Amino acid sequence: MTTERPPVLSVRGLSVRFLLPGGRRVAAVTDAHFDVAPGECLALIGESGCGKSVLASALLGLLPANAQTAGSALLGGLDLLTADERTLARTVRGRRIGLIPQSPAAHLTPVRTIRSQLEETVAQLTGVRGRTALRTAAEQAAERAGFPPGHLDRHPHELSGGLAQRAATALALVGEAPLLLADEPTTGLDRDLVDRTVDELRRHVDADGDRALLMITHDLAAAERVADRVAVMYAGRIVELTEASAFFGTPGPRHPYSRGLLEALPDRSFTPIPGLPPELGALPDGCAFAPRCDRATDTCTTLPPFTGSVACHHPAPAPTPEDIRA
Amino acid sequence: MADTTTAVTKTVWRAHGTARRSTHTLRLRVSATLVAVTVLAVLLVPPLVRLDQQAVDLAAKLLPPSWSHPFGTDDVGRDLLLRCVYGLRVSLLVGVVAALTATVIGTAVGATAGALGGWVDRAVMRLVDTFSSVPHLLLGVFIVAMFRPGVWPVVISVGLTHWLSTARIVRAEVLSLRSRPYIDAAVSGGASRWRVVVRHLLPGVLPQAGLAAVLMVPHAMWHESALSFLGLGLPTHTASLGTLIQGARGSLLAGQWWPTLFPGLFLIIPTLAVAGLAGVWRERINPRRRSELTL
Amino acid sequence: MLELRAITAGYDRQAPAVRDATLTVTPGESVGLLGPSGCGKSTLARVAALLHRPDAGEVVLDGTPVHRWRHRAPRELRTAVGVVFQQPRLSADPRLRLADLIAEPLRATGRRSSVPDRVAELAETVGLTPDLLTRRPHEVSDGQLQRACLARALVLRPRWLICDEMTAMLDASTTAALVGVVEAYRTSTGAGLLAVGHDRALLNRWCDRTADWKTVTGW
Repeated sequence: MTTERPPVLSVRGLSVRFLLPGGRRVAAVTDAHFDVAPGECLALIGESGCGKSVLASALLGLLPANAQTAGSALLGGLDLLTADERTLARTVRGRRIGLIPQSPAAHLTPVRTIRSQLEETVAQLTGVRGRTALRTAAEQAAERAGFPPGHLDRHPHELSGGLAQRAATALALVGEAPLLLADEPTTGLDRDLVDRTVDELRRHVDADGDRALLMITHDLAAAERVADRVAVMYAGRIVELTEASAFFGTPGPRHPYSRGLLEALPDRSFTPIPGLPPELGALPDGCAFAPRCDRATDTCTTLPPFTGSVACHHPAPAPTPEDIRA
Repeated sequence: MADTTTAVTKTVWRAHGTARRSTHTLRLRVSATLVAVTVLAVLLVPPLVRLDQQAVDLAAKLLPPSWSHPFGTDDVGRDLLLRCVYGLRVSLLVGVVAALTATVIGTAVGATAGALGGWVDRAVMRLVDTFSSVPHLLLGVFIVAMFRPGVWPVVISVGLTHWLSTARIVRAEVLSLRSRPYIDAAVSGGASRWRVVVRHLLPGVLPQAGLAAVLMVPHAMWHESALSFLGLGLPTHTASLGTLIQGARGSLLAGQWWPTLFPGLFLIIPTLAVAGLAGVWRERINPRRRSELTL
Repeated sequence: MLELRAITAGYDRQAPAVRDATLTVTPGESVGLLGPSGCGKSTLARVAALLHRPDAGEVVLDGTPVHRWRHRAPRELRTAVGVVFQQPRLSADPRLRLADLIAEPLRATGRRSSVPDRVAELAETVGLTPDLLTRRPHEVSDGQLQRACLARALVLRPRWLICDEMTAMLDASTTAALVGVVEAYRTSTGAGLLAVGHDRALLNRWCDRTADWKTVTGW
């Protein structure tokens, strides 16, 4: 974005597949390429079951035993896909990737106060020792996430949805991780709360300019509010990766799927994309979107390469320099 | 198929989480083998080996383990290996029948209490609490004492004392399922109370009840052994693991360890094997684990 | 008419989730009920679907005051209201294939003979392929499962539909598709709709009128 700094996370050819009983294979993620730069927020959007959560699990090394991966995901020189469980547990989760969970209420331990959970996390992830020092550090961590200190001695069930979200964010921020990974952080929240949650995430990215945010979501409005760039995932592949301003504004998305997704919003034309997404266990050889696409032709039986910002044989025209300036 | 995608960019696939999987299968294999050996021994040895387990040979009493008597002999010279297999047979029979009895009673009571709720639930669960406050063994002793020694009083005693925990498990499970939206959806779709219980609640609790039943088999075997050891269960001439251990008490004090050790092992090893199998089963029926296996 | 009059309901009499809520839906009308999460609007939706007995107040369904709830409610009243919940995972019996899930209300009300026709027809309406109908809930995505749940709610041709945050877990395209199905059903049958949610843009676009939780409960 600003000067040329190495990306925080660099994903190259990341693929994940599951081996199912009976020899079936499910290609959950196929050949994903993207970077997340310092100070940048990348939103990964797509419908449920498109493979975006699997991608997050792969980055955290939390795939189930029947999964296989390929490619690389470099986080400051460490390949997350080949790192062993010990390295991931001791140096990655919490320390180099802060996870902001989908349902904070379920992410917090129900029987302990927010303070004791924060203090434990501080003690685990930082060098702070001693009762009073921990107490202060925990209070600072809470303050950073905008969690009111007066609520620190409450249990998770005594918190509203918004405060629980802040508590979870505070925990994710403790380790000063360079990459924040938010997996559907706004599911089931009201619009106001969605706005506040993503604004806070944005604030943490902007605060020091070294941190990056990868937000996985199906909420296009939340993505529009927070993201610098948008990656659209369909049937396990990233089909479009572009600047958020161009995507949500003019000239709009270039891939027909992204266009359809955006047009389905209630404040746009509110019309669904016809048909259903393909099964990840039985993907077609060519473009996976072709059966639902009104632009599809014979060339769509071959796999469209990812060129420029889009993987499609018939994308909408690329934005001209004037469009970008506008 | 998914493989075409791999052909495009010559993908190198790496596996994940192999370590966890291998201990899982190892546990499954060891437990399953032990359970299979136990069941086969109990079913096949008596009809195949036409030896008389009751054959008394006073000249060969209390012999230590040797090639002709791998487990040694008891105080009247009976072969202990044969006695143990016969004993296991009786204990296992008692255990399985008693566990089934207890599970059927427990599931019926627990499901009724959980599904009806309200005062029925409160009354039934207070009854369960009352029963639970009396030690199992004491209650079991009381029940067997009302009958002549034999297999059926022991089965009844175990069945009537062990349904309590199953009833609690099933009730808790029914209560948690009952508040799920899918039960609401069934009610809204016109399902009667009976249909909700039979079609939606019971199938949901059966895996748990089945697990409880399996775990109860060794429990019931131990209960039978305890009753027999106290001289209240099976008549002493019927070989069961309990009567064998009871009969060996005297020789243990005299330094003869084998008449106690081998029946004891026959009690402990199937118990551990069943617990191992149940552990694997529990992981299988755990919904999170199941979703992992499929995606 | 679906009338909710001064409903107070909840799970704890000392702290009811809903206090004094009044709302009317006329036949053929679609009403959006807009409220923040945790405000008790789902409880009100359950009351309207005769699934939860209110502590006070009255529900009048097509002129019949409701006195009994859940299993005790007369079957004709219960099945006159179709419900779709927020989380498809929790609203589908994990052991049933999608076809059985959709057919369950027909079987429960003794209309077995119409099962094959109705299931095929509704699967087509909500956009489920025959292949998906043979799968169990854990083998399909949230969006596909919610399509099946909507089909189940429509299978008895209810005069009233209650959608409790039906689309909160879904992407924009699936949301638009499911709303389209509901609207097509209402146009062809004249059914009334109560759509509960927290997304103002969605409810304004979807419904004839949108009621704020504050105005419904009067405080």
